[in-house]
Amino acid sequence: MRSQRQRLAYILLAPLALFIGALTLYPTAVTTVEAFFREYSLVNNHNFVGLKNFHDAFSTPAIRQSFVNTGIYVLSGTVLSVVLGIAFALLLRQRSRWRAPLLALVVLPWALPPVVEALLWSRIYDPTFGPLNGVLKSIGLISHNQVWLGSNRWEALVLIELVQVWQTTPLCVLLILAALQLIPSELYEAGAVDGASAWHGFRYITLPLLRPGITIAMVAAITASLNIFDQPYILTGDASASASVGVQTYLVSFQNLNFGEGYALSLIMTLATAAISLLVLRLVYRRVEF
Amino acid sequence: MPLVSRRPSGRTRRVARRWGRWIALVLVVIWSLFPLYWGLSTSLMSSGAADSLPVHYYPHPLYLSNYGQLLNLQHANLGTLPYQLRQSLLNSTIESVGTTVLTVFVAIFAAYAFARLEFRFKRIILVTTIATLLLPAYATLLPLYKLMTSWNLVNTYLGIILTNTSGFLPLAIWILYNYFQGLPKELEEAAFIDGARPLEALARVILPLSLPGIAAAAAVTFLFSWSQFLFPLILTTDLRSEPATVVIAALYGPRLVAFSLMAAAGMLAIAVPAALALLLNRYIVSGLTAGATK
Amino acid sequence: MGLALVVPGLVLLVAACGSSGSGSNSSSNNSAPAVNLKHPGGSITVAVAYPSPPPALLQQFTKQTGVKVRWVNVGWDDLQSKIVAASTAHSYFADVTDVDWSKTGEYYKLHWFYPLNRYFAISTLSGQMPQLSSFVDNGQLVGIPMDASFMVSTMNTKQFTHAGVTKAPTTIAQYTADLQKLKSSGVNPHPLNIPLQAQEGLSTYWYETTAAFGGHVLTAQHKAAFTSPSSPGYKALAWIVHAYKSGLVPPGNINMADVASLTSNMAHGMTASSLSEYSGDLATIYDIPSNSSVVGQVKYVSTPTASGAPAPNLGNPDGVGIPRTAHNVAGAVAFIKWLDKPSNQALWAGANGGKDAITGFPLPAQKNATAILASSLHGKSGIGDLSQLLRDSQPVFQNGAPPWYSQFSNAVYTNVHAAAAGQESVKAAISAIAQVVNQNAP
Repeated sequence: MRSQRQRLAYILLAPLALFIGALTLYPTAVTTVEAFFREYSLVNNHNFVGLKNFHDAFSTPAIRQSFVNTGIYVLSGTVLSVVLGIAFALLLRQRSRWRAPLLALVVLPWALPPVVEALLWSRIYDPTFGPLNGVLKSIGLISHNQVWLGSNRWEALVLIELVQVWQTTPLCVLLILAALQLIPSELYEAGAVDGASAWHGFRYITLPLLRPGITIAMVAAITASLNIFDQPYILTGDASASASVGVQTYLVSFQNLNFGEGYALSLIMTLATAAISLLVLRLVYRRVEF
Repeated sequence: MPLVSRRPSGRTRRVARRWGRWIALVLVVIWSLFPLYWGLSTSLMSSGAADSLPVHYYPHPLYLSNYGQLLNLQHANLGTLPYQLRQSLLNSTIESVGTTVLTVFVAIFAAYAFARLEFRFKRIILVTTIATLLLPAYATLLPLYKLMTSWNLVNTYLGIILTNTSGFLPLAIWILYNYFQGLPKELEEAAFIDGARPLEALARVILPLSLPGIAAAAAVTFLFSWSQFLFPLILTTDLRSEPATVVIAALYGPRLVAFSLMAAAGMLAIAVPAALALLLNRYIVSGLTAGATK
Repeated sequence: MGLALVVPGLVLLVAACGSSGSGSNSSSNNSAPAVNLKHPGGSITVAVAYPSPPPALLQQFTKQTGVKVRWVNVGWDDLQSKIVAASTAHSYFADVTDVDWSKTGEYYKLHWFYPLNRYFAISTLSGQMPQLSSFVDNGQLVGIPMDASFMVSTMNTKQFTHAGVTKAPTTIAQYTADLQKLKSSGVNPHPLNIPLQAQEGLSTYWYETTAAFGGHVLTAQHKAAFTSPSSPGYKALAWIVHAYKSGLVPPGNINMADVASLTSNMAHGMTASSLSEYSGDLATIYDIPSNSSVVGQVKYVSTPTASGAPAPNLGNPDGVGIPRTAHNVAGAVAFIKWLDKPSNQALWAGANGGKDAITGFPLPAQKNATAILASSLHGKSGIGDLSQLLRDSQPVFQNGAPPWYSQFSNAVYTNVHAAAAGQESVKAAISAIAQVVNQNAP
């Protein structure tokens, strides 16, 4: 009976093993190995070159720049989507008949294709017909139309990331809201007896107890922004001032046909994702018991 | 329940706080919907109205011709554009439905094994599966392209469906695993006493109870598939398999088409996921937060 | 939630038992198949960066040959990515597709296209097609010109006259001063069109500007010829950057692609001149009332030069070729012959009142076709000027495009864009472009 069930378990898991093994783990292994080989469609050979792909990649100014860009995407994206996530979750915390429809609207940006979203935002940033210039001008913050994408690098980076933040924030809201609902209300009542203010309640009761939710939200925001591709690809194309490592990997592989260098960039980003996620777990996560 | 504060404070203060909350909620809704509103509004203007100053904040009069032209309801000099859009939306639908069916099917069996059966290496296999959620697209992008090349699956529905499924399986399993674990074991045990085998118990007892969990896994998988861009960008080469995301990006790139028409194309491309997100919101919320509270 | 611990370990573990990569395969079979051109039949997919001509004309072709045509219009930059993805995957995607002049060297080396020598004789074509040599590498015909595109300068004569400029400038100094005059007189606050978005069209603008300053960007040996501050390439880049920073170019152009800048700005008088755009834009954009509010105002002019002496305009022809993964080679060959027939070429370029024109199509590839077009246009839309300019045009690279052209052009347009946006100096842009050249042609 027991061994029969064990056999059944392995049969049930066989399709999963095939998918994960052949289409996830094996490709990851290939990336890891090929990063150390030269593979260039213009030169028909394939040989071990050690760290040369990494060296070549980092001697290209545009690629170095893409790492800085991605760093800014990750930093601004994580901070913004987690802060907005906490704020929105606190606002949506109260149960009422409005909450379900409100949540449905808030989740909408997460559910739609980032490519189309970037297209819609490109119009918002449009220097001539965009509502951003229109609104800022009518409230007197700017006197003439600004070119939002493509002139100031830092401005472009943050505005491009804002499009992604718009998409990832709903996920953060849901994750933090789920954690928020686990906090027993007695804790606040105890705090109220102690005469705690609203800010104190948030700072010393809510925030510490939210740590598991915030951790998962942060990991979600970090993996999204490390992978950012659609938004810069649509909004500023090949421009190196705002191209992410993802865009450069695509260009290096499919425009320059230098697949070896593409693998090297991929390996770096895979390890970076793992390392940063691990760091967040170590620094932010605390098990909470109620 | 308001945040804290049972302190005796004036009535005015409570009213002010409630108003503040409502204003904040309105701002949240504006933030979430404004870009969509702007796209919809522009899509309902003629290109002349959309590209004129001062900026129009709403369409007046309503101009439906962008949609009419794209849907081929009226004659237009758009070349193959309506065909491209129609075919790519069909491709998106086939690929997303295919991915969802395959993913949910594989995930049900795997999640059941994880939730109810005992076997060696269970924890390692489960953790490995879930850990692949953290693998970035980079890890598999180029090798998957080569694999699909050697299997002659570049530019096919199957190639896209297999790639998508490998990416979205872990989350679907995680959702269903948590759902199955939440079901009381007694019901199955009653079935076992009646002589049912494990798979019969799965089919007769667990699945009927798990429809909300299955809906959650299916909705989330479908939305992920519909949104895909980078993988289809390299794994498809023409309209035999290009999804709407790829076709729209290619149309937008050289900016050959007036933006109002482009916005209408964008609205058509988000109609399906938007409707799904609004209708199945409850399941999407539960799917995305599965296990997040552990 | 200790899951993330697993990932790095997993990657390393799997790497240990990982794969040994397979070598890349090279197709040594170099010859194109024999085909029956009498009645090829079947169907073909044509993927090009041009919109399709009216369906009735395509149906005529189907009637003659039995070949059904599916015409797919893809943006130029995206089309190049598609060709790369499909060719490296050995996957079918079209029977006829774009072979840009700049890709000839690359495709020759990669064997992605059938040599066309078997179906078309270089010796007979070269007399009729002035830009054929851009598609020949080592005697192999990689593609056939579809058009005779080259870069030209244009001026909105109405706006220039309005600002008091009555004579077309011959030197760049005069040209710049005239543009300043348009700006300062209030006729046009941003008169100059340069499409500064990081895309191919910006690279070609720099090549043409370099020619105007009296030189080429690469030497005949494909070495960098633009690193010295006194070189034409360096001066051209500095001129482009200065033009943008001094406000001659609309600020929004920093994120605007070539065709868009012409159809949405120039065609509505928002800009008044391009130092470099494409031959044929008058007949297919500016002089077509439904697309333009400047009908009859824009003229082709001789490109102003540093010295004042006329300089050759640079060729920019798009060709078509047959990828090795094509299904219907016979149909493809028949289609290319039909596409390049002089009477059809004249239609694409705007003969017959422009009703059969392909938007953005420049001059016909065939000289005979240009003659038909000229008589149909009765000398309007600058056709006389164009034919003259075409006679003096030259290829961008003296010895054909280098096989690493894609990488080179990417470095050009990203760095010219960045320098104009003020993200790097002209000097830094020049050395970043030079680095790519030096890597590939040591």
